[in-house]
Formats: sequence, structure tokens, C-alpha cells
Amino acid sequence: MTTAGMRRGGTVLTVLGLAGLIVLYWMCFFWVSTEVNQGVVQRIFYVHVPAAWTSFLAIGFAAVASAMYLWLRDDRLDRAALCAIEGGLVFATLVLTTGPLWGKIAWGTYWTWEPRLTLTLLLWFIFFGYIMVRNSTEDPEKGKRFAAVVAIIGAMDIPFIHLSVVWFRSLHPEPVVAKPDGPTLPGDMLATLLFGVLVFSLLFFGFFLFRYAVEALRAEADLRARSAT
Amino acid sequence: MIMKNTVFRSLILSLAGLVVTAAVTLAQEASGVPQANRLAEQNLRPYWHVFAAYSLVIIMIGGWAISIARRLRAIEDRWVD
Repeated sequence: MTTAGMRRGGTVLTVLGLAGLIVLYWMCFFWVSTEVNQGVVQRIFYVHVPAAWTSFLAIGFAAVASAMYLWLRDDRLDRAALCAIEGGLVFATLVLTTGPLWGKIAWGTYWTWEPRLTLTLLLWFIFFGYIMVRNSTEDPEKGKRFAAVVAIIGAMDIPFIHLSVVWFRSLHPEPVVAKPDGPTLPGDMLATLLFGVLVFSLLFFGFFLFRYAVEALRAEADLRARSAT
Repeated sequence: MIMKNTVFRSLILSLAGLVVTAAVTLAQEASGVPQANRLAEQNLRPYWHVFAAYSLVIIMIGGWAISIARRLRAIEDRWVD
């Protein structure tokens, strides 16, 4: 795909995502029913969980691209991993900021060192670490390889985050959708949540394409500058 | 004289009202009975948290969009040069 094609694709996905975000906000504030026990603060769920899902998607995508980069040494795969990691960092930051806002009302504290929260913080540091490792080596090729390893190891955090609430006694609620006996959410809440996941995924892929176009243009500009000198 | 008495009586009544209000407020404070403004604060707090969370989503996504747009413009300027 050319950079112009990526920008067109990015525009379509981003516009769809932003329109979806408006609809999602309308659903959250005016359509979905209020949860009986937690009240209005439970509405944070509809942005918190989709942000978490998107950060998992980002690290998974980055890990696959990184593994393929280590195998094929194709710079396009390294660029794809970098762009996914940047998106993952944005959405992981959202998880770590919206979660405490919910937790303060639901649990009475912004933060507690329980397994899921700690492992999610670790995921945020993995995203951040990827970018730091990539930029901290003198040889860029070495930086790319080291960062690829960080992304692959980082993806191993995802199953632990998901299962930590099952394995350990924890304040964080257990999964209500991704569980063996099916979702236990009421229909309107499930529909809002799934729509949120779709909207955040569209935004992630839309911005990812724009970000990839930037990296592709930068690589081409660097190549031209090198060949001119 | 009548006018003077009326003013004096009004003044006494107002002062008495103030004393009673102050006494009730102090008694509420001492007994721990929640006051109206504190109750309102407690009831509105979840709404503020929801508002902050939904605002953060817009700020983060908007910030990322602006950051990508600036980098894209910088690289396009480099191409023009």
C-alpha cells in the first residue's frame, strides 16, 4: 500500500471511529441502563474496558510484527510494530487513568497493588520501554532488534493480566464477557461495551495507518538524503 | 417611639435567628449529621469522575491525533525542502 493509500485508509477509519465515538458517548450517557450496585460511576466501564482491549490488541500486533521482523528483517514490519506500540501506549495510559477514577468510587482508593493493576502498569512500562530501548542504542539496527524482543516478551503479559483476577484473590472484578460460559452482562450493557471496543479499534487502526505513513515518508526522506550525500 | 421599637425588635429577632442558625450548625457538626452541601458533594463525586474519565479519552485521542498531524506536516515540509 502506498503512503497516499494509507492516509486515505487512515482518514476513512478515523472518521468512522470519531463518528462512532460520538454515538458511543450518546449510548453511555442517554441509552444504556445504570448499574444497580455501583450507580453512575460504572459508566467508566464503557471506555475503560475498550481501552484495555485496544492496548492488548496493540501489543499483540506489535509482537507478531516484531517476531516477523526478527525472522525476515523487513523494515516495514519494524515500523508497523513501532506504530502499534505508540497506539498501545496511548490506550494503556487511558486504562491506567480511567481505572483509578472508577476505583476511587467503587473501592475507596485510586490505586492498590493488586495483581491486575500491577500487571497493567507493567504493560505500560513495556510500551514505554520499547520506545526507550529502540532509541537508546547507537546502532539503529541493534535498537530495532532489542525493541522487537521487548515487544515479544511484553505480549506474554496479556494472558497474565486476563487470568490474574481468576488466579488470585483480588479487588478487581472477574471477566464478564470473555469467559468460558459466555457473557453475563445485560444486553444493553454488552451492546454498548462491544460498540466501544469496535470504536476504539477503528480509532487505533485509523491512527496506526497515519502513523505508519509518517514513518514510511521519514524512511524514504532519510534514504534520499543519504543517496544525495 | 413606635418606629424605634419596631427596629429594635427586628434587630433582636435577626440576632436570635443568627444565634439559632449558628447553634444548629455547630450541633450538626458535633453530632456528625451530614450537611446539605456535603451530601451534594458526596452525590456529585461519581459524576465528576465519569466526566473526567470521558474527558481524558477525548484529550488522549485528540493529543495523539495532533501529535501525528504535526509529525506528518514536519516530514512533508522536509520533502518540499
